[in-house]
Amino acid sequence: MREELLKILNELRPEIEFEKETALIDGGVLDSFDIVALVGDLNDAFDININIEDLLPENFNTVDAMLELITKLQGEE
Amino acid sequence: MSFLSLQFLFFLPVTCFLYFLVPKKIRWILLLGASGVFYLSNSVPLALFLLITAFSTFQTGKNLEKIREETEESLKNWGDSKLRAGETKKEYRAKQDRKKRRQVLLAALLNIGILCVLKYTGFLFSSLNQALAVLGFSDLLPGVNFLLPLGISFYTLQSVGYVIDVYRGRCRADTNFGKYLLFVSFFPQIIQGPISRHSQLAHQLYEGHDFCYPRAALGAQLILWGYIKKLVLTERFSMITEPIFQEYLNYSGLTMLVGAALYGFQVYLDFSGGMDIARGISEILGISMTENFARPYFARSLAEFWRRWHITLGAWMRDYVFYPLSLSAPFSRLGKRTRKWFGTQTGKMIPTFLAMFLTFLLVGVWHGAEWRYVAYGLWNAVIISSSILLEPFYKSAAKKLGISTEGAGWKLFQMIRTFFLVSLGRFFSGALSLRSALTMMKSAFTVWNPEIFTDGTLLGFGLGRKDYLLMAFLTLFLLGVGVYQERGGKVRETVAGWKLPLRWGCYLGAILILALFGYYGPGYSAAEFVYQQF
Repeated sequence: MREELLKILNELRPEIEFEKETALIDGGVLDSFDIVALVGDLNDAFDININIEDLLPENFNTVDAMLELITKLQGEE
Repeated sequence: MSFLSLQFLFFLPVTCFLYFLVPKKIRWILLLGASGVFYLSNSVPLALFLLITAFSTFQTGKNLEKIREETEESLKNWGDSKLRAGETKKEYRAKQDRKKRRQVLLAALLNIGILCVLKYTGFLFSSLNQALAVLGFSDLLPGVNFLLPLGISFYTLQSVGYVIDVYRGRCRADTNFGKYLLFVSFFPQIIQGPISRHSQLAHQLYEGHDFCYPRAALGAQLILWGYIKKLVLTERFSMITEPIFQEYLNYSGLTMLVGAALYGFQVYLDFSGGMDIARGISEILGISMTENFARPYFARSLAEFWRRWHITLGAWMRDYVFYPLSLSAPFSRLGKRTRKWFGTQTGKMIPTFLAMFLTFLLVGVWHGAEWRYVAYGLWNAVIISSSILLEPFYKSAAKKLGISTEGAGWKLFQMIRTFFLVSLGRFFSGALSLRSALTMMKSAFTVWNPEIFTDGTLLGFGLGRKDYLLMAFLTLFLLGVGVYQERGGKVRETVAGWKLPLRWGCYLGAILILALFGYYGPGYSAAEFVYQQF
């Protein structure tokens, strides 16, 4: 799952070292356009449904946080 | 009463003094009382609209909380219930969610409806009259111009945001109407924001805070800085920009561009100065308010500019308009179709661009009910979408030309380019009408008159040499402060840490500048905040 997520992230913004980032949202690394594109890609790739309620900085600040969100949403499906 | 009135000079210290005098538990009541006095001093009848908004959103919050509790309770005792035969948990949750959505929709319709009727009826009627005139009907609809309740555009968004946050589970509903009314009407932010979030501000208002001298000193610094921006700088800039925008037929070419650039800077000084005063007052009271500006003129793209300019409006539009639109089922369906038609990369962008255009259209009309504001919103959307589409082209062009996109020169170029684009947008927001904005833009690009920089044209606005020197000095100072802050420096904390003679020398110098060069004369009423009208 991690590899797939990193592949999506690297396709979205190749110049960012995602594994090293700790504040992708709070630090303004990803903007709202990136988030919308990312949500669409994650929904398709992991067969989940990320809602607006899930669009919290803490869910997208790090790769680990995103993995946690994906796992949580897969559990709910 | 405004921040610039004499009454406020009396009102503010008395409020602060009483706040720290009364017992902690009832300090929020004092703030509510002060906010009431502040609001009612502007208009008593129009306060009714604020009360309607506060009450309707408060009640909706309570209803949403009730549905949430009911849902949790039912799900907890799901096995015991015999009434839910045939209904699954998922169906029950969806039913409860529909109930909650209805509540949110009603509250949003009521409050945004009030805002729209008061703010846009005149615009709608006059536009319809113009359209009907083409068909031979003249003035079928009456001219309407409602008085706007103070801060309606700000408190409406803040209150509707609260309802949506309760719906989304991002904050709990308020149970005390008095406290909630304070959240909606808190006097430092009622005139022109920031548009605060309940989870960030409300608890700070309700708690009583102790007096803290270092914090109060930082707050006072910010207030002083805000007044200098407002009364010393904004007023002088407006003496140049007002004639250019009001009597635009008397000017041409580069004067227009200079006027637009200076007007943009003037709006920044005016609006951010107001924010500094609001944040400073709150800081003295122990309340930390969201920042609304983060040195926007250091932005390297228009998209970044909007993340640094009027941050709380941008965040509101992002969270409550752009995201819901972009992630909605219709937009998702549209995305699937456009991917088929235009390929994955382009197809994916189309619904996002459409959502952005609609969001910026709203940002535009939020500023005012006029076609020039519609154009202002669309201008920003067009530039941002083209910059996204052209980014690969810029990068490959820079690579071919051997320009490093990480170098300071490229960054400076990006900042200047952004400043230019922002300034062009100011033709729409500053002009008398859309027609005059377009006339000014046309002149700016068709008349080449560099002689204005040497023949004294720019010195003929009633300002003296001393005024220009003062403006240049303070603007450079502002730039220096901006650079320091961009590098992570904390200006106010640094000044507060200086030794007493230097620190107080600095404070007295600032007070002296304000006292000697601030505009308090007959033109005083012209010093109302530009954003107050929104």
